[in-house]
Amino acid sequence: MRKSFTYIILIVGAISFIYPFFWMIMASMSPEKELANLIFLPESLTLGNYAKMFDKIPIGRSLINSVFVASIVTLGVILFSAMVGYALAKMKFKGRDLIFYIIIFTMTLPFQITLIPNYITIVKLGWVDQYTALIIPFLINNFAILLFRQSFMSVPQALIDAGRIDGCGELRIIFQVLFPLIIPTIVTVGIITFMSTWNEVLWPLIVIREEQLMTMPQLVTLFSVGGRAENQLGVKLASAVLLALPIMIAFIFFQKYFIQSMASSGIKE
Amino acid sequence: MAKVVIENIVKEYDKGQVAVNNVNLTINDKEFVVLVGPSGCGKSTTLRMVAGLESITSGNLYIDDLKVNNVAPKDRGIAMVFQNYALYPHMTVYQNMAFGLKIKKVPKAEIHKKIIETAKTLELEDLLDKKPGHMSGGQRQRVAIGRAIVRKPKVFLFDEPLSNLDAKLRGQMRVEIAKLHQKLEATIIYVTHDQVEAMTLGNRIAVLNKGCLEQFDTPMNLYNNPVNMFVAGFIGSPPMNFIAGKIIVEDDKRYFVNDAGNVKFDLNRTLFSIPKEYDNDNDNVTLGIRPEDITISKPENGVSVEVSIETIELLGNEQLVAFTLNNKTLICRLPSNEQYLAQQKLMLYIDLERILLFDSNTEKRVG
Repeated sequence: MRKSFTYIILIVGAISFIYPFFWMIMASMSPEKELANLIFLPESLTLGNYAKMFDKIPIGRSLINSVFVASIVTLGVILFSAMVGYALAKMKFKGRDLIFYIIIFTMTLPFQITLIPNYITIVKLGWVDQYTALIIPFLINNFAILLFRQSFMSVPQALIDAGRIDGCGELRIIFQVLFPLIIPTIVTVGIITFMSTWNEVLWPLIVIREEQLMTMPQLVTLFSVGGRAENQLGVKLASAVLLALPIMIAFIFFQKYFIQSMASSGIKE
Repeated sequence: MAKVVIENIVKEYDKGQVAVNNVNLTINDKEFVVLVGPSGCGKSTTLRMVAGLESITSGNLYIDDLKVNNVAPKDRGIAMVFQNYALYPHMTVYQNMAFGLKIKKVPKAEIHKKIIETAKTLELEDLLDKKPGHMSGGQRQRVAIGRAIVRKPKVFLFDEPLSNLDAKLRGQMRVEIAKLHQKLEATIIYVTHDQVEAMTLGNRIAVLNKGCLEQFDTPMNLYNNPVNMFVAGFIGSPPMNFIAGKIIVEDDKRYFVNDAGNVKFDLNRTLFSIPKEYDNDNDNVTLGIRPEDITISKPENGVSVEVSIETIELLGNEQLVAFTLNNKTLICRLPSNEQYLAQQKLMLYIDLERILLFDSNTEKRVG
């Protein structure tokens, strides 16, 4: 009895999350005039909204931009945050804990506070309207450092010692000896970074003005609110579907690791 | 193989805590030396300094007459076996053993030959494709030893390698390590807190306490001729019994008498002489006697003492009888053919030819 009640609650919860997505996908494939009455499945399916969107904006190019930027940033965050996390977890040096606390402190600063100084820096470096503006400031991440540090702390010191005796340098220890042991953390950091980079709108809006360099969320946002969608909801929703799709696919592939890492973080084995 | 010289080595941490204090050891080629001592005595830190995993605050470390204080672990010609095996969990046994050699860029064919040879020696042939997660503790430890052997090191370092194994397996592995030492003719430094391991494996044993070296000697010398009360109490199970007392002079004769006055004997009956400065000074000497040297049958040269039994531990071939003397619990080892009861009064004899005397203040041996 209790079990079935739990399932009912879970099903209701799941539906409330899934339905808006489902509706969005259906609406994007439904003729504009039917949208107002759409509840579940449209009377007729059409890809017209998608065709219109492809006509109006360089969505293909923006998809490539987004994939490129998000991939490089994700790779950078995994590499560099792992190095910092390892140093904070396993190396002994003066001021190690202070550095860690400062990194934790920076997590409390809202992005908006650093927005203007960062923009000024980018302008001075001459990186406006370049991929570097989208990539370099995000190559390392405090939350990823925290996750990696916690993960490395749970790895036995003897394994690192064994690596040193076998002739490994620190980089080989991180990437060849320890990385295979913390795959769930790497996947989690990867998904979170990819997702947040993918969804970022504000920063690209500030540093990128050239349409050919715009990321997908930036382009879709400008398209939706900038009037080029001519107030047609179906077209806007089609662009939103394309925006959400890569992240949804990634999550479906990696959800096992994602949940595993979230469930086991902080537990020492 | 190689000679290892540890010269005035000190390890001091940032907060001023001294883990190893001025330790000197010369470990000869092909020698099996065991570092033993209670937790926190600095034995593992010393081993880690030899390995190069811990920096040396002061002092010198020589391997084969070459000063290696600042040489990286991989270049010291050492291999180490860890307490928790430290096998790479994502690699198979073969890959684990090959890893160090691959980094050294040893040709593949040679790596393969070495691994197969070592696997044969340690009976690991069937496990080469397995990952550590699918093996028992004993198997993992054999792989860890195998990984050390393939490196053909000058010095093997073992850091409490058997402490994660159950008692039976520990016994088996102890024999295997002893055999391996004979076969490889290797210089081995072995850390343990288990004195049975230390006594059975070591050619010589270094007893450490609070970062200092207390005594470095052969197992039998440590057992029979400990230099102080710490070594006397640490080596031997159950530990040596201590009876506090003093030396008095009566009718030109010198006697040892314990605090309660129920153990008294003429010092001329012992095999040693005690400096006169100890005479008639209160509570300044402590008598040490091993449990097996307190007997139920009167030895040729013994002193009797009546005791009340506290507890009895039957071990099959013998029994450990705990009794109180002057409010202190002492233990003797008696044959198991006689049955005793708790609270029973018993006449025991201390073999005066087996006693040791220590200065109660400095805890150093005086006789």
